[in-house]
Amino acid sequence: MLEPIFQVDDFSFRFPDLLEPTLRHITLTINPTERLVITGPSGCGKSTLLYVLNRLYPHNCDGEVSGAVRIFGRLAQDYDSGEVNRKIATVFQDPDSQFCMPTVEEELAFTLENLQVPRQEMPQRIDRILHLTGLEDLRHGVIQSFSGGMKQRIATACALIMEPECLLLDEPLAHLDPLTAKEFISWLNHLQQKSGIAVVAVEHKLELWGSFFEREIALSENGTIRKDQLFTERDAPILPDRTSAIREKVLFEASGVCVSYASKSILRNIDLQLQSGEVTVIAGPNGSGKSTLLKALCGILKIDAGTITGMRVGFVPQSPEQLFLSKSVEGELAFSGNSSAEKLRHLMTALDLRTIAQAHPFSVSHGQKRRVAIGAMLADERQVLLLDEPTAGQDLKALTELYRQIESRAQDGCALVVVTHDMNFASSIADKVHLMKDGILSGPYQPEELFSNSALLAEYRLHMPKKGDLYAPAFA
Amino acid sequence: MRRLLHEMNPSMKFLAVTACILILAFFFNPWTPLLFFTGVVLLQLLLSQTNWKLWSLAMLPFLIGAFGYFWTTLVFGQSGDSPVLWTIGTIDITVQQWELAWSLSLRVLAFSSISLLFAFTTDPVHFIQSLMQQWKLSPKLAFSVLISYQFLPVLQKEFVQLQQAHRIRGTGSRSSTFKRLTESRRLLIPLLAGAVRKAERAAFAMEARAFTGEARTHYREITLAPKDFVLFALFSLVLTISCSAIFWT
Repeated sequence: MLEPIFQVDDFSFRFPDLLEPTLRHITLTINPTERLVITGPSGCGKSTLLYVLNRLYPHNCDGEVSGAVRIFGRLAQDYDSGEVNRKIATVFQDPDSQFCMPTVEEELAFTLENLQVPRQEMPQRIDRILHLTGLEDLRHGVIQSFSGGMKQRIATACALIMEPECLLLDEPLAHLDPLTAKEFISWLNHLQQKSGIAVVAVEHKLELWGSFFEREIALSENGTIRKDQLFTERDAPILPDRTSAIREKVLFEASGVCVSYASKSILRNIDLQLQSGEVTVIAGPNGSGKSTLLKALCGILKIDAGTITGMRVGFVPQSPEQLFLSKSVEGELAFSGNSSAEKLRHLMTALDLRTIAQAHPFSVSHGQKRRVAIGAMLADERQVLLLDEPTAGQDLKALTELYRQIESRAQDGCALVVVTHDMNFASSIADKVHLMKDGILSGPYQPEELFSNSALLAEYRLHMPKKGDLYAPAFA
Repeated sequence: MRRLLHEMNPSMKFLAVTACILILAFFFNPWTPLLFFTGVVLLQLLLSQTNWKLWSLAMLPFLIGAFGYFWTTLVFGQSGDSPVLWTIGTIDITVQQWELAWSLSLRVLAFSSISLLFAFTTDPVHFIQSLMQQWKLSPKLAFSVLISYQFLPVLQKEFVQLQQAHRIRGTGSRSSTFKRLTESRRLLIPLLAGAVRKAERAAFAMEARAFTGEARTHYREITLAPKDFVLFALFSLVLTISCSAIFWT
């Protein structure tokens, strides 16, 4: 029997500024070559546990600790800072903030320099890892010019060049479109078989991973281990069905919209019609111009040609706090000055914001932030709402809340446009779907017709996960 | 030949440039900076591949500054009791003012030309790596500079996104420049909060890759070669010739 990589024994962890511990009485053993996933609702301490395993915590946050973590049989606190990271490599969630050099080659070399590998050995090791990961062509490429999917592969290569015995992944798919995510997983699968290292991932979009994992550790809301079991392949969770609230009235119409930037055409000849109570989904690969389209429709970007008519349009960015200008939630809704006190009161109740009326909008939860942003738009008499990637990085509970929110706004007679990669979510919320690629918007498609057409979905780098209800109740 | 300045050891180049600027500061006459400016441009013409269109564009603000110095010194400078050269309207321009004006404005040009030479022929990443290798700059400091260099475009993107989001709230577009300036403080807090978050993530990512700030090996070795000393001597020569102007004017 090989020596385990991690032995965690009755481990509890509390952040210094929180009253309650984030992790409670965690006991687990992780062996070499294991493929393990840590699951659980948002805020249950999944990422914290991962950071304990690579020894970034408690070292970097003065957390309060009890119990013991042994890494390769030695207590975590007995290692020097950075020492254990030679054997335990990590890939993080945000592809933008894990690089410090301009090119792929220099970034790989950065890892080797940290390990004090002699300079003569570096070229061979860089060659070898580029060959192993199939990234030979990117050697001299500038990292910031690559897509999110490529950046995650580069980050993985930078981790593997250390020749670690364990690879930790912190929601590595959160910023990738579905097909890119699937490609990343099969690439990782291949790598793991070749190198035989252990893989420990934190993830809540399990349907994308197929049968990659062998074992699952499910954490519960209060930070204890709920289950430690064999991993079984997941279907996408079932979201409730919805009756359409479409009304005759057309709220918004765009025709022939073109936008170009630096003499490059980004949007070509876009036609879009939105009816009152209608939920429209726009999907397509990263970089196809979806965000630009939303910004053009709500008037942030100037359009070069075409016409936009209809009601005023509101925009909710992926990080809703980008919109905030006031010191309280109440003030945020009142900011535009376009609504009577009566209407503001009504909105605060409808959006369930009364209890946090005096809170600072930056300090409330992500779901609440989005509701505040929607409220601010509605109070500004913007009945057409554009939501940019509201599903990215959301767990099932948050998705369900988002779903209900969209549903009730549609019932109130708003027209909503949702940009998303999550086809499972799209298929249950959409009245119609538009697809986007290279600045061209196609459709509208009826959801049933589109989601059974896997060839068309693949053309737009989308993927419809298998639907099932077996595991959904466990999360809801 | 045309790559020599680009290939010069960046620390050595930095030393040469700093020394030139410090020494030039002690010479206050029109001829020294004029000669130095000509010499620097000549060096750059012969020993580098500079995009001169871009260079002229970068030089433009300094040129305007230099002209500003020239003009204000002529008009407002202390006249003393030196002989009057010309009279424009009610303004007497004396010989002393004339010389002072040229000295000041040419000095601006001399300083900016040598700084631009450094900026146009030095890769910032190589410069930092050279500081680490030749001058034993601590890796912790060096990599914090390198990483902030990578962050600049990301932060700029974030700034544009914030600005766009705020535009839909009705700030910015309808107000005056003054109002826009006071409103930009609203952008500052979320931008800084985002930067702090990103910085923490970057620090984690570096530590997770075994960066400790301790001694390290270097993939790109930046060396000191005889040619670096020759080039250093060349800079000294240009400086000496320019400074000797005080003896023959």
